[in-house]
Amino acid sequence: MAFQYRLGIDIGGTFTDATLINELTGEIQVGKVSSTPSDPSLGFLEAVHRMLQKSKINPEKVGYIVHGTTVATNSIIEGEIARTGFVTTDGFRDMLEIARQVRPSLYDLQFEKPKPLVPRYLCFGVPERLDATGQVLTPLDEDALRKAAMSMRCEKVESIAVCFLHSYINPEHEKRAGQILAEAFPDAMISLSAEVAPEFREYLRASTTVINACIRPVVARYLQSIVDRLTAEGLKGELLVMQSSGGVLTFSAASEKPVFLIESGPAAGVISSTYLGGVLGYQDVISFDMGGTTAKVGLVQDGTPQVTKDYEVGATAQAGIGRSRGAGYPIRTPVIDLVEIGAGGGSIAWVDSGGVLRVGRQSAGADPGPACYGKGGKEPTITDANLVLGRLNPSYFLGGEIQLDIEAAHRAIKNRCADALKLDVVQAAHGIVEIANSAMVNALRLVSVQRGYDPREFVLMGFGGAGPVHANRLAAEMQIPITIIPMSPGTTSAMGLLVTDLKHDYSTTMIAQIHTVNPNTLDQSFSNLETQGRASLAREGVKEEQMRFVRQADVRYVGQSYELTIPLPSHELDTTEISKALENFHREHDRTYGYSAPQEPVELVNLRLSAIGQITKPHLHKLDNKNNEIGDAKKATRSVYFSESDGFVECPIYDRYHLGSGHNVKGPAVVEEIDSTTVIHPGYYALVDEFGNLMIAAHKNT
Amino acid sequence: MSTNPDINPIQFEVIRNALMEITEEMAIALRRSAYSTNIKTRADFSCAFFDRQLQAVAQAFTQPAHLGSLSELVPQAIKTYGPENMGPGDAILTNDPYRGGGHLNDITLISPVYSNGELLGYVANLAHHVDVGGGAPASIGAFQEVFQEGIIIHPVKLVHAGEMIDDVMSLLLAQIRSKRETAGDFRAQIAANRTGARRVDELVQRVGADLITRCMNQLIEYTETRTRTELARLPKGVFTADGCVDNDGFTDKPVNLTATVTLDDTGILFDFTGCDPQRPAPVNSTYAQTFAACAYAIKCLIDPDVPVNSGFYRAVRLITPKSSVVNCSPPAPVVGGWETQVRLNEVIFRALSSAVPDQIAAETKGMMAQVGFGGIDPKSGNLYSYYETVAGGYGARAASDGPEAVQCHGQNTENAPIEEIEINYPVRIERYELINDSEGPGRFRGGLGLQRDYTFLNHEVSFTILADRDRWGPRGLLGGKSGLKASYLHKSRNQKRALGSKTTVELIPGEVISYRTSGGGGYGLPYDRDPQHVLDDVRNGKVSAQRAQQIYGVVIDTSRWEVNQVDSEALRSAGKV
Repeated sequence: MAFQYRLGIDIGGTFTDATLINELTGEIQVGKVSSTPSDPSLGFLEAVHRMLQKSKINPEKVGYIVHGTTVATNSIIEGEIARTGFVTTDGFRDMLEIARQVRPSLYDLQFEKPKPLVPRYLCFGVPERLDATGQVLTPLDEDALRKAAMSMRCEKVESIAVCFLHSYINPEHEKRAGQILAEAFPDAMISLSAEVAPEFREYLRASTTVINACIRPVVARYLQSIVDRLTAEGLKGELLVMQSSGGVLTFSAASEKPVFLIESGPAAGVISSTYLGGVLGYQDVISFDMGGTTAKVGLVQDGTPQVTKDYEVGATAQAGIGRSRGAGYPIRTPVIDLVEIGAGGGSIAWVDSGGVLRVGRQSAGADPGPACYGKGGKEPTITDANLVLGRLNPSYFLGGEIQLDIEAAHRAIKNRCADALKLDVVQAAHGIVEIANSAMVNALRLVSVQRGYDPREFVLMGFGGAGPVHANRLAAEMQIPITIIPMSPGTTSAMGLLVTDLKHDYSTTMIAQIHTVNPNTLDQSFSNLETQGRASLAREGVKEEQMRFVRQADVRYVGQSYELTIPLPSHELDTTEISKALENFHREHDRTYGYSAPQEPVELVNLRLSAIGQITKPHLHKLDNKNNEIGDAKKATRSVYFSESDGFVECPIYDRYHLGSGHNVKGPAVVEEIDSTTVIHPGYYALVDEFGNLMIAAHKNT
Repeated sequence: MSTNPDINPIQFEVIRNALMEITEEMAIALRRSAYSTNIKTRADFSCAFFDRQLQAVAQAFTQPAHLGSLSELVPQAIKTYGPENMGPGDAILTNDPYRGGGHLNDITLISPVYSNGELLGYVANLAHHVDVGGGAPASIGAFQEVFQEGIIIHPVKLVHAGEMIDDVMSLLLAQIRSKRETAGDFRAQIAANRTGARRVDELVQRVGADLITRCMNQLIEYTETRTRTELARLPKGVFTADGCVDNDGFTDKPVNLTATVTLDDTGILFDFTGCDPQRPAPVNSTYAQTFAACAYAIKCLIDPDVPVNSGFYRAVRLITPKSSVVNCSPPAPVVGGWETQVRLNEVIFRALSSAVPDQIAAETKGMMAQVGFGGIDPKSGNLYSYYETVAGGYGARAASDGPEAVQCHGQNTENAPIEEIEINYPVRIERYELINDSEGPGRFRGGLGLQRDYTFLNHEVSFTILADRDRWGPRGLLGGKSGLKASYLHKSRNQKRALGSKTTVELIPGEVISYRTSGGGGYGLPYDRDPQHVLDDVRNGKVSAQRAQQIYGVVIDTSRWEVNQVDSEALRSAGKV
């Protein structure tokens, strides 16, 4: 076969990461260039160049280029959106501005609601009305719609969102409106709510559609500029974009429905965990990704990442019910469910007005960064604390790229924390780490225990630059038996781009009590979605035997308004299978909420279908069996603080690149590599597997 | 922590995190498994954990109205029932308004937490139930004594040793219109307490009961210190303001409110001496409701990061005349207490406007704006009842306009999606839009009020309005003008009439209730408003061009969407003379 390589390009705020995998050998190469926020496609191209040069491969041999991008999210957050019009049912044109009618912060009398993405003078109410069963009460006033189209044209609108009440059950008015708008205003891009997110709850559907419309011209232009540049470079591989729910879309599908790309970056880490877990035989994984500013936790059950449909773009991430909704713009398209908290290497420690040590809320970012970076930072961070505790190597941070200033870390912790608390610097440093750990434990509980999963049945995948420093301790606290630290943890997330399938998600609302539904009707609805999915995949060149269709249904007790998503078999349904699904629902409800009510009527709400085009997965690279001794990998010893040992202990430091398959690293120990540091606590050991993963577990006899 | 050498400050923060997490988990369990829209979508509930001494340790809630809601009720209920009568796996239920409760719809479930056979404290949750019986669907309406408002539950055991007591449940449900929803909500409340108790037990197994107890005490002390430190930063003085609820639902006599706020070295004191005596009408706030208004005001003045527990509540000091509209006694009706409570916040902030003018806002919607309706669903033949509240304009601030269509103060409940209401209830919402020209003018203007039109299909309906602001709009500050007052219109085939703000009407199919809330008050003089902001408002249709000229002295060229500088300056300088 002509194609031999697969290239992933992940554009973040600071860096653009490139990952190249050789599909024959499984060998992975990584690279980094600075991002170019004013035109991200430049950074993209630079990364491609760098990778091709470094690996000296022929561009024609690259079969897939997979892109993770924050362009969709950033354009919303930074307000760089297309001029957009909004068309809805007469009487409801303020839907976007009213939103949920709540304040995003409870006690701030100076609060603001998020500014609507479409100004009011570009929102149009058009006479038409359906009832809740889809019956037409008022026919569509086509003249009024044409007038609205003319106004939008005069106002130089680029993109239009249409959302009529109850269009999820009867899309005819929206479809007709789409035709009329296209005739009257052929240059505008039109997004219909019944196509983007055909589910009930008008504000959520409208918001999803409006976001799609607002970013569509921006994303389409961006993706096109990449296509043009790559074509000029002689790259002929398939271009794909990562979605927020995992799975990839072709560039052309992504240009139509860019709302599916919101938050595609963080999703990659969970996808990687899922894939790695699968290769190693673990279907239930908790993914723990700790970087410079935040820690992100996600859960994978049965080889499937948990997905949420309750997400707000632009809202700052906060765990817990105390957070108010209404801080951002909601979308109803699926997003991988992540709990993100402000605990990264750069998170700042401080003493509050009640004299208590706290971590988070503020981050030192990349500039000035932690005090130990020596770039003028005066605030102590988690990285400073880890340095003082001996867990990080001052002369081997990022492989020695940055020389860490341990004195500066000491000073910052002393001045800002230790003195106020009347503790010595080491105690305070240990406090900072423990408090950050307790916040991360809460995040881990949130995705597991709170949702009814027993963490003892999961493995913890620890990655990101800072993840492996903390993972062992968190697993101990959560009683998670095995912690896996993949090779090159700083690039684990980017790897997620290369191990995912083509995926299109479809949904439709069908509200009906489950025992009254004819299995054939249900089958028919799924088949209709499948037809759409099959057509999209076929257009993208996927062969029938590589297609897979996953059916799910959102189900609830009659009267509830939160649904649980239950898997259904992908073949024809009969009554036995519906009863099985029903049992499954009661069980899920019990697991999630602590009770079930099998005597209560149950209703279907939405049907969901994922159409998947399977892509061959790369092989993991195996360690070369050098037959070396573990002693060869030991590069030094250092004093490292462990509370279990009541202080500093002299610890062996290992070079990860010299560890071989089967080596057993006994804690306390530290394993160093360029992009991360793994801390193995007393009472634990790390076994190196054939791929070089560190598998950390407790000693049996302790 | 320097004040208590026994506890390592790191352990303290770690356990504090875990304690806060317990009530958060209870809240998630309750919200996600509840049946009624009011709990699950509108999040009208609160969860708390109390220690053995009945001090509130941690509380999770999304409605500031629930500040203090449990801290008064739970200790009184436990003392009344007798802690010795509550064993492992038990739970008691109460909604007594005169012993720490609010209106009857707020029902609280309290469970003792035992760990290793020892009592460690109590978990409790309060939820607003959509119906508790009484004289009108959704249990809101204008009545003259509490007995007409629904079932009053003195502390009674609902769960014994983990088993629901069916007789009690059956007695409760017999009083209530929406039996299925209410039964589901009770199950959710039980599940939430179970979650809380289980989590406390896990924490005990991890770190031991003794350390937890010491940390809880420390947490309360820590919170008190922080609250006092924060309050000490405010300017000292005595600040007074008056206000009123427009009418009481039976007479047109305004319900007079007055608040005197004293800030001195001992902290903050709210004195409500001078408020009207209680009335046989739905305008009486219970002590707990008035307490919540004061607690909320303090929360707005201090760092929002300060936790909520007994340490915070100790700083809330108030003087409330007995048997008054701010501290009512039996048998005063309580259902409209929130209308008075939220107006008290307006009066408190008005008083504080001379102390901290940059921190507060002009008057807001300033009412709960409740809607209740019910009848027999023609499709199912079953009784139904529905409850919701409608947002309004927020008050303008020193440096920004008041947001449009938003809840205010103690209330932050979400709207129910129109599609969801129409799927579940035989009602149609015909219009849900901002009300143009309803803003209180000012240098910064108030937010726009909100209109929601209801019509009913093929059946007769009792429709209740429990609101206010139909005589006077929310007042402005420092020269800002009042927002447009609210109105409640009943449109039948041939006529349109204004309804009172506290009333129940019977509707026949096809009739419409147009519910229109008030706009927020303005801040500063309207002539000082930036003409560009006026232009934006006119362009967006929020303010008419005519109004821009008359009230703001800004002439807009609507063909080019520009400010006519010359004419505007002439108008403004003429107006100032």
